[in-house]
Amino acid sequence: MGQHDTYDAIIAGAGHNGLTTACYLAKAGLKVLIVEKNDWIGGASVSRSLHDGWTYSNCSYVCSLLRREIVRDLELPRFGLQVIPYEGGASFTPDGDYFAYYSDHDALRREMFRHSPADVDAYERFSQTVIRQCRFIRPFLLRNAPDPSSLRPRDLNELLFLLKKAHGLGAKELGETLRFWTMSIGDFLDEHFENDLIKAHIAGAGIIGTGLGVYSPGTAYVLLHHYMGDVDGAIGAWGFARGGMGAIANALGACFEEAGGTIVTGSGVDQFLVKDGKTVGVALENGDTYQAPIVASNMDVKRTFLNHTETKHLPEDFTRAVKRFKIRGSSGKLNIALDSLPEFPAAPKGSPFLRGDMHCSQSLNELERAYDDWKEGHWSKDPYFDMLIPSQIDPTLAPPGKHMMTVFVQYAPYDLEVNGVRSGENWNDETRKAFADCVFDKIEVAMPDIRKHVLHAEIRTPWDIEKEVGLTEGNIFQGELTFDQLLFNRPVPGYAQYRTPIDGMYLVGSSAHPGGGVMAAPGANAAREILRNIGKGDLMPKHAA
Amino acid sequence: MSVSATYDVVVIGGGHNGLTAAATLAKKGKSVCVIEKAEAFGGMAREVAHLLYNLHPKVARELGLGALNEGKPLSTISLAEDGNHVEISGDTVRFADGAAHPDAAAYAEMIRRLKKFAGVLGQLSTKTPPKLDGGLTSLATLGELAGLAKMGLDLKRLGKKDMNEFLRVILTNAYDLVLDEMPDGPLAGALCADAVRGNFVGPRSPGTVFNLMYRLGQGGDVRLPKGGMIAVARAFEDAARKAGVDLRAGQGVTRVLIENDTVNGVELEDGTVINTRAVLSSAAPKATMEMAGIEHFDVEAARRMRHMRCKGSVAKLTLTLKDAPSIKGLSWDQMKSRFLIAPSAAAVERSFNPVKYNELPTAPVIEAVIPTLSDVEVASDGRHILSANIQHVPHTPEGGWDDAKRRHVINTVVAQLETHMPGLAALVESPDLLTPADIEARTGAPGGHWHHAEMGVDQILTVRPVNGMAHYRFAIGGLYLCGAAAHPGGDVTGLPGRNSALQLLKDGVLS
Repeated sequence: MGQHDTYDAIIAGAGHNGLTTACYLAKAGLKVLIVEKNDWIGGASVSRSLHDGWTYSNCSYVCSLLRREIVRDLELPRFGLQVIPYEGGASFTPDGDYFAYYSDHDALRREMFRHSPADVDAYERFSQTVIRQCRFIRPFLLRNAPDPSSLRPRDLNELLFLLKKAHGLGAKELGETLRFWTMSIGDFLDEHFENDLIKAHIAGAGIIGTGLGVYSPGTAYVLLHHYMGDVDGAIGAWGFARGGMGAIANALGACFEEAGGTIVTGSGVDQFLVKDGKTVGVALENGDTYQAPIVASNMDVKRTFLNHTETKHLPEDFTRAVKRFKIRGSSGKLNIALDSLPEFPAAPKGSPFLRGDMHCSQSLNELERAYDDWKEGHWSKDPYFDMLIPSQIDPTLAPPGKHMMTVFVQYAPYDLEVNGVRSGENWNDETRKAFADCVFDKIEVAMPDIRKHVLHAEIRTPWDIEKEVGLTEGNIFQGELTFDQLLFNRPVPGYAQYRTPIDGMYLVGSSAHPGGGVMAAPGANAAREILRNIGKGDLMPKHAA
Repeated sequence: MSVSATYDVVVIGGGHNGLTAAATLAKKGKSVCVIEKAEAFGGMAREVAHLLYNLHPKVARELGLGALNEGKPLSTISLAEDGNHVEISGDTVRFADGAAHPDAAAYAEMIRRLKKFAGVLGQLSTKTPPKLDGGLTSLATLGELAGLAKMGLDLKRLGKKDMNEFLRVILTNAYDLVLDEMPDGPLAGALCADAVRGNFVGPRSPGTVFNLMYRLGQGGDVRLPKGGMIAVARAFEDAARKAGVDLRAGQGVTRVLIENDTVNGVELEDGTVINTRAVLSSAAPKATMEMAGIEHFDVEAARRMRHMRCKGSVAKLTLTLKDAPSIKGLSWDQMKSRFLIAPSAAAVERSFNPVKYNELPTAPVIEAVIPTLSDVEVASDGRHILSANIQHVPHTPEGGWDDAKRRHVINTVVAQLETHMPGLAALVESPDLLTPADIEARTGAPGGHWHHAEMGVDQILTVRPVNGMAHYRFAIGGLYLCGAAAHPGGDVTGLPGRNSALQLLKDGVLS
């Protein structure tokens, strides 16, 4: 047996949420330890050099959702965080054309007009609705989810806040909000736009990371989840963290260490230690144990309670609810080192949209069919991807003149079907290569000579992401973003407020409200709960609602 | 232009909702006339439905239709590929050969809970959906909000555990709900088939648990009334006539006449004008809008109406058979059941795939019944009828319907039935296929949709049929919706018609 130190609080997992909780607690004067199974910190907000000279952000790859209140509280820019917005994107077509999305409003209108004059006006209506929904939801992100089944004054207060906000919308907007939250992104776009390419370009944000198709009710909300962030106050904008997404984790880590916290890497939690219904510490895989009256898990809810906590400490209902919590792997990723910038025959040289998110999906039906493949345990034969070359904006990611490309692929199953058997074990070098080939074939729509430029490619399947990062099934949100798993239902009804059935144990990851993405809101909200429960609530910085 | 008559109220469309609305108003002493385009009354209840469920007891009582809700409900048999068919009667499940089913307890528990939830939701179905404007401070809307508040209280009364469960499942999908409780197979398939019935969804689509609850609204019992659905249609018709309603069939309304933004009459196909102070339309909302003249609606209302989701996806196939078919292992009595071909939840989802792209089904979910086995009056000269609803058939496939495509659908369905009913193909005398397009042409149901408007969560309650027009009142003074596109929605419940009539009376248009 190795170490037996005692702390005020232990955080299991150094993902961005765990780091955020740790920062707030350490700044409040607690003696905090983070334990991390990998040799590096960051979880899925990570950048590593996996090919000599290149830095891959090999999980999350762009930034928008990170709450600015948290950035300010923790002074992350002082620790090196810099987010640079990118200026649009494009969807390429096989016939050599493209639809470009510009952040410049007039340029976007002209481009839309080129494809469909009617859609220019539709876009104004569309973006008004989306912005209104963003404004509505943003104040909820750094609050606890209201619990309608509780009568505690604080819960009633949250419920009242929700009712007040809802009532403030007025009848028509409230009706629209009810519809928006329950409808599919496909139906929502069909209501507005005529052009297939424009619809396909926008729809991607409604399915990224989910086990739903563009016509599944509830995907309009997923779109919102990707639009409700901001870069420097520009709502809906996305950007690159300079140095890769790992820069976010590194800034948090530096903030934490400055506040006096300790990080131990290289060995993960084996067991959460519980005594008489109270948390007492953690035992690591390497045999070390650490004691603390507060333990917060950054792991997803399934991993935390089904793999690392003895079932006897948990109510049966709770365990059952955790078992049925849906965490479905649906996304793969390629991280590619390029010897130079590939040719885009369709686009004028140096077009600004080449520095943004690029796609090759042509229609909503194509996206829906991609989903049908996934349901049967196959990767999409005609996949959706979100492809960026961030080294054009951030030269730190690749050697001079060379480039790094990230391709996020929807859909890839966790349990791949081969010869009638569905299992993650079916992912091997052969199937991985076949999957990557399928993606490269489609990238050729935009960059016909892409294959010639590839120096190295890391192929990541949901299976790989689970193995390395520890996200169950490789789901990027630590749980599907469907209504049965949002707000007061996330992760488990009755435990939506970061607490767990075990006294002193908390959930701080994306399995908790408000959910996934590099947002850090679950981590900050959980820190607020922890501090309040130990009578130090006043040490939590206050944010304007 | 001749004015032929004057009524307090004209009801457009003599489907069961139109007839219910008319009867409800006539019983309150109003003079009412129902105008039906087809030769016979009954609409979809007559043309499309082949079983009765969900008829609301209030409607049954008020119209004297109680007899329809009597008699033994049919059991459901979910046909299994391996011959181990599953028999569902009410809350009990067993194999068709009488053996115990391993998931019987899980099934009973799930249905008990869903029925309980359906009961809580059900109280909203007999009222106008709560209005959200005016807010908490306006006396006029407080009454409507009271319904919502009562539901909130009843939810609380379920207890914390059930309330949590209600709020978790209400918007979720049937596939996960069912497979969390039992392994995939014919029982899970049957539940999923009932959760998607009539709608343009697969069981993985969020919102399908709501559909399942809606279907269980009156306990979920399925009945085959004596004389079939034609008798049901006739019972509604007789109830209206007995209440003193004038019924006119064979001619549709072409225009709703409007003066000063208020209804003052309708014009029929032959130019006849009927004067009236109110028009209740059980026709499609968009068709109603066109009859009234789109210029009376604001741009937003017109746009919303155009985008109302109503893609029909159920076809009906009626097979006249030389002799009664049989299924191996089922008794004569069991042959009277409602059959489902939905071998698994995954199969139900697969059934949904092609229709999304307007493609013909390859292995659709089928609900079949042989009414002639239960009701000798329906059978003639030893022949039998097999009626099948085929879930997930496109309204209009690429290139339109032609004989080859119809033949393809018929052959696909007969072949699927044949695997369970050997020799069926040889018994078929005349297959009669009603595609969603046919259903639309015959009944006017928009898109041939069973419920006139998709029963998605984004199109129910205060946003049914569309946001801003959910209170039966249809923009113009005296014009109301009373069909399935209005709250609470489809099935032969009679509620949209009844609620709309009551709203008209409450609004004082006729006083």
